[in-house]
Amino acid sequence: MWPANSSTVRRPDEQRGPTRHTGGLLAVIAVFVASAALAGELEPADAFQTELEEARANVAAQLQLQAYDLLDELAYRWAEEPPFEKDTAVVLADVSVPVGFGSGLQALLENHFVTLMVKNPRTHVQLVHCPQCTAMVVHSGAKGTVVGRGVDMPEALAAAGVASGSRHAIFLDFEAEGSVLVLRVRMTSLEPKLPITYAHTLSTTTTSAAMLRSPDKLKSAAEARKEYLELLEGKGLLLIPLTVTVRTYQTRPGSFIAAQPLVFVQAGVEASLSQARAWTVGANLGITWTPDTSVGWSIQGRISRLITGNTVSLTRPDVYAFIGGALIGIYGAGALGLKNQVPTIADIRDATQTNPSHYYGTFQAGLLMRLKNRIGASFYIESAPGLDNANAVGNFVDLGFMKWHTFGFEVSFCF
Amino acid sequence: MRPVLVALLALTACNKDPAAGFLQTKEQARNYDCTRFSQEEAHERHPGLVPEPPARGGNFGVKDALICRRRLVEWGERNGRDEVILTELKGSVDDIVRLAHSTAPEKTTWYVDAFYPSPQVSQKISVAARVRLAERGQSVSDHVPVLAAGDIAVLARMPPWKSYGIACRRYFDERVLGAGEAFLGIMILDDRESQLHAGVCLSGEWRWLQ
Repeated sequence: MWPANSSTVRRPDEQRGPTRHTGGLLAVIAVFVASAALAGELEPADAFQTELEEARANVAAQLQLQAYDLLDELAYRWAEEPPFEKDTAVVLADVSVPVGFGSGLQALLENHFVTLMVKNPRTHVQLVHCPQCTAMVVHSGAKGTVVGRGVDMPEALAAAGVASGSRHAIFLDFEAEGSVLVLRVRMTSLEPKLPITYAHTLSTTTTSAAMLRSPDKLKSAAEARKEYLELLEGKGLLLIPLTVTVRTYQTRPGSFIAAQPLVFVQAGVEASLSQARAWTVGANLGITWTPDTSVGWSIQGRISRLITGNTVSLTRPDVYAFIGGALIGIYGAGALGLKNQVPTIADIRDATQTNPSHYYGTFQAGLLMRLKNRIGASFYIESAPGLDNANAVGNFVDLGFMKWHTFGFEVSFCF
Repeated sequence: MRPVLVALLALTACNKDPAAGFLQTKEQARNYDCTRFSQEEAHERHPGLVPEPPARGGNFGVKDALICRRRLVEWGERNGRDEVILTELKGSVDDIVRLAHSTAPEKTTWYVDAFYPSPQVSQKISVAARVRLAERGQSVSDHVPVLAAGDIAVLARMPPWKSYGIACRRYFDERVLGAGEAFLGIMILDDRESQLHAGVCLSGEWRWLQ
């Protein structure tokens, strides 16, 4: 599977893909006019710049997530093993982003770090505001005049009395080293010799994705992974889907009885063969009721195969293809239209006393879309050989050897 | 950046191949860092993307996975020499720090600076070395020792193999560095090279590490 950005990030030297023409002269003209207008608005250099900016924004967005992850990990470690024994005022002296990235990313990372420190007081790091610490200051002494940042010249800050009570400064340095983002953290004591009192390196490995932890509820990497697995595995191998199904029938041409749709409420069990849920099998029982017309039941079984990957997705809908069969029994006046014989007026009039019934089996095939094994919608076609000669039911598709009599639509909720 | 997982199917070969070919150019392929893992390990790392191995093994299906990750900054987007230096920064700094550590006695206070044409990259190099030294338990200062402007003007006219030794002596003579203090300098000596060199200034003596 290619990364999400592979389809959206275009290198500047690549051409845009061909515009999809969906047919129709008007559409072609509209696309032509729109293209001409666009070409008139954007010079090639502007288009190049736009694509470059898009590419950079895309990369920065993903880089930002990884950088957040590293900061989360740092804050988690500090919460577990605080760098100070008690609350200590610290200046955030510098956030350095990878070479080639700008102040926008820097501001994002700085804000995230501050958020983490504020929401995790267990770190004992109390950030203080000290604009003079990061500003360029001029200090004249016996050895000459030196220009530099305040945090690099603590004696100048001390002389000016503007260190905000802070005795420590934090430096966060991010760098993109190949496919790995590295965070180097150091804390210095604001003394003339600027001794480094804390140093640590964190990096994303080549094989771990950003965990996207919540800033106010940090977890260890192991806990985050466990949570991820639990989410991935859903509720185990068994699901109990509750389904509302609408079966619509084609009315046979010339029939004086219209084939009515049947609404079933079904409940059952669906089992997957593995946590990947690539293959599932399920069975359910259903009931139907149409006021003053019919009641009925159904027994249905299906086998489904995931067609959008080898395993269910956490972030995208999953689509299954399925085949199955059902046995349906209908009672009441509604069953008369399913029988081969054309009902008489008397049959219909006496249906409440005679309670006619009809049973038939079906074969079905369709597609099911699931959202994280919670909600699903499916569409299928159904063939019922027992309805081939039904007096009121025609077929939607006739393949010669098989007639498809039913279109079905389902909505399911899984428990 | 989301990892690219390439399941190598036993019979149907690669279904998503990061190698250059019909679907991508050599330039695009070069921007992937790939590592091959067994299916079991790949499933362990990416359970949502790689199915678990069948309980009874089997001869068909996924056998191993090539886990690829796109470079954060693609080749060509930064200066070529900077990119090489930054890509290998961790490894090269580790080597330099290990060598430097062996040259000075314990309880030495280290000062670090880098000499590189790009100030941004120079800062990255020196920060990496300082942090690595501190992580090894050394006493490290964030302070950068500087010489007087006149010294720098003279040193700038000298060839590198000579200037660093003289600068080291000036550090000591001017008492910028004292006893128990060492200076680790990391630099490139030729504008055309992408190999970092390093030397240590200890007690007024300059010693090249690499």
